[in-house]
Amino acid sequence: MAMGLSSGSGASEHIQMDALAYSSRMLNWAPLGKLLLVIVVLIANVMTDSVVTAFAVLAIGLVLMAYSTNMRIPFMLAVAIGEAILILIVACGIISINGDPSEPCIWRADFLWLDLYMTADSFNQAWLVMIRAVAGITVMMAFATSTPIPHLAQALRQIRIPDEICEIVVLIYRYAFLLLERMDTMWSAANSRLGFTGFKRSMRTIASIAVGIFTSSMNLADKAQVSLDCRGYRGYFPIWNRPRKAGVGWVAAAAAVFVLLFVLGTYTEGVIDFAGLAFGV
Amino acid sequence: MDFKYILEARDVTYVYGRKDGGNASLKNVSIGIREGVKTVILGANGAGKSTLFYHFNGVFKPTAGELFYRGIPMSYQKEHLYQLREDVAVVVQNPDEQIFSSTVEEDVAFGPMNLNLHPDIVEGRIRDSLFKVGMEDYRYRPTTQLSYGQKKRVAIAGALAMEPKVLILDEPTAGLDPQMSQEVMELVDQMCLAGTTVIISTHDVDLAYAWAEEIHVMRHGHLVYSGVPEDFFNDRDSVALAGLTLPHTFSVNRSLEGIRGLPEAPYPKTNSQLLAKLSPPEAVFGTLCIRALPESEDVDREDEGLRVGIYGFRTRRAFKDRGLRADIYFNAVEGCCLSAMQGRDTVLYCDPELVDVVRRRVADLSRFGRAPEVVP
Repeated sequence: MAMGLSSGSGASEHIQMDALAYSSRMLNWAPLGKLLLVIVVLIANVMTDSVVTAFAVLAIGLVLMAYSTNMRIPFMLAVAIGEAILILIVACGIISINGDPSEPCIWRADFLWLDLYMTADSFNQAWLVMIRAVAGITVMMAFATSTPIPHLAQALRQIRIPDEICEIVVLIYRYAFLLLERMDTMWSAANSRLGFTGFKRSMRTIASIAVGIFTSSMNLADKAQVSLDCRGYRGYFPIWNRPRKAGVGWVAAAAAVFVLLFVLGTYTEGVIDFAGLAFGV
Repeated sequence: MDFKYILEARDVTYVYGRKDGGNASLKNVSIGIREGVKTVILGANGAGKSTLFYHFNGVFKPTAGELFYRGIPMSYQKEHLYQLREDVAVVVQNPDEQIFSSTVEEDVAFGPMNLNLHPDIVEGRIRDSLFKVGMEDYRYRPTTQLSYGQKKRVAIAGALAMEPKVLILDEPTAGLDPQMSQEVMELVDQMCLAGTTVIISTHDVDLAYAWAEEIHVMRHGHLVYSGVPEDFFNDRDSVALAGLTLPHTFSVNRSLEGIRGLPEAPYPKTNSQLLAKLSPPEAVFGTLCIRALPESEDVDREDEGLRVGIYGFRTRRAFKDRGLRADIYFNAVEGCCLSAMQGRDTVLYCDPELVDVVRRRVADLSRFGRAPEVVP
């Protein structure tokens, strides 16, 4: 393992994502409304076999994400989406070369012991999966980059999820940052004392850091309890600034979007034939 | 009701863990905190200062002994504890342990909301306390994006929002840069002036010596001294045993008066007091003008050629908002006195309620020797 090993803990990414959510132009939209919209769009995305619907969902995701981030997709977000697309390309490539042997092939090859058999259906299916997945990612990213975790917890409260669970969500969010920061510090300290020279030593160091983080979390919990008592904690976390509630408008909008996507999907199934476009079959 | 001490501990022992096998962090501690007196609990790390604080607001229940608030024995029933914690606020040393909420305003509102106050009152308290700590521009910021110093200010704002009668600050300047430390101490001074009893725990002997009217020194869970700072620091052995050192000003005064063959008393606590004591009669001092927060927008022109100091959170804010020039931003009473004593004509702007306090502090310099002339 390299001496300059980075912790990869993602603390800074977490903080960037958090900053992005708090600076989003969609911050003040009702979190439950946003959640509802995302869910119905995702459901509509998988309910039809139309690539056009997948493209429509992709467009919705990109527009929302661009609006949320003030028309500037941050590099971090672009890298995250890029990573996901790379993984999807591999996965969809595998789908496309696993065609049904009873159907005519459009491309065939032998690789080691594998028979790579691509049919028009498998090729189209691969594209559909690919576009659906990318569309789903963008829609979820639009939600993640515009909804801080405490707002999400508030949305959960509105749908009658027990307070205890919502408060745990908020506390985990709050303390995850502290523990990640601590882990980064421990990682740097270990690195500066040559803790990552060689595989075995690296593993031992990582194990020690994990134990350290566990102990830290216990200490932090004890101290947090004392601090809560000091501040008059009465067994629940009061909320001062409640995010907007999702009204009938949100439900109507979500329903309308769902119907539109569904109808679009029903009437456009098979309209785009990727195999025909690529191979002329 | 008449009471001698606002907070009092009598023969308090506290054992962490099991009573028979645990480690006692407080051992028969008897201590009284007088209302309105600037009090410092001084001691090395692990002396039991924080543990004692958590007894004062009922978070810890003593293993043995008794605690009193306003002369009444503390009750550990829930409702009484809530009342006690409304009156006695503790700001813990590490702000990360005290900030629970995701945004600044949410965290400051946490205490007042726990008191079930009306939303209008909560809103007022959020605004006031953030203004006092100079964090009003950060009201909607996520707490995860704040620096350590900003978190510390938010933690203090959270305590101020409770409007406590007693404010306990555990190591308030630890981890802060010198300027921010001064700002925090200015705020603490203003809290004292507003009638809050402030107790500070620290191992910073310079801070304790300069600020405190009364100190209580702890060592290994025992209270080893209660009284005025000078008497404690005069006993070198006790200072060393408590794991402390002599304050810089105290030490310099002792050495210089030793060389001059003069008595150490009166004991200067600040550099300006030391300078007042040691300045030769022929030294030429500048004048010092003390003014309340300026109304005029044209202060820069009026004060041309003068050194300008600012003191108090309202004045600081006004200067910032109006983009006015100030030469001495932090510890300005001291800074302006020193400036005048070095021969520069100086003007000090401060919050209106601080004018008399500043005048008294400047006049107090004459107790040590020469004070700069205060002009209208």
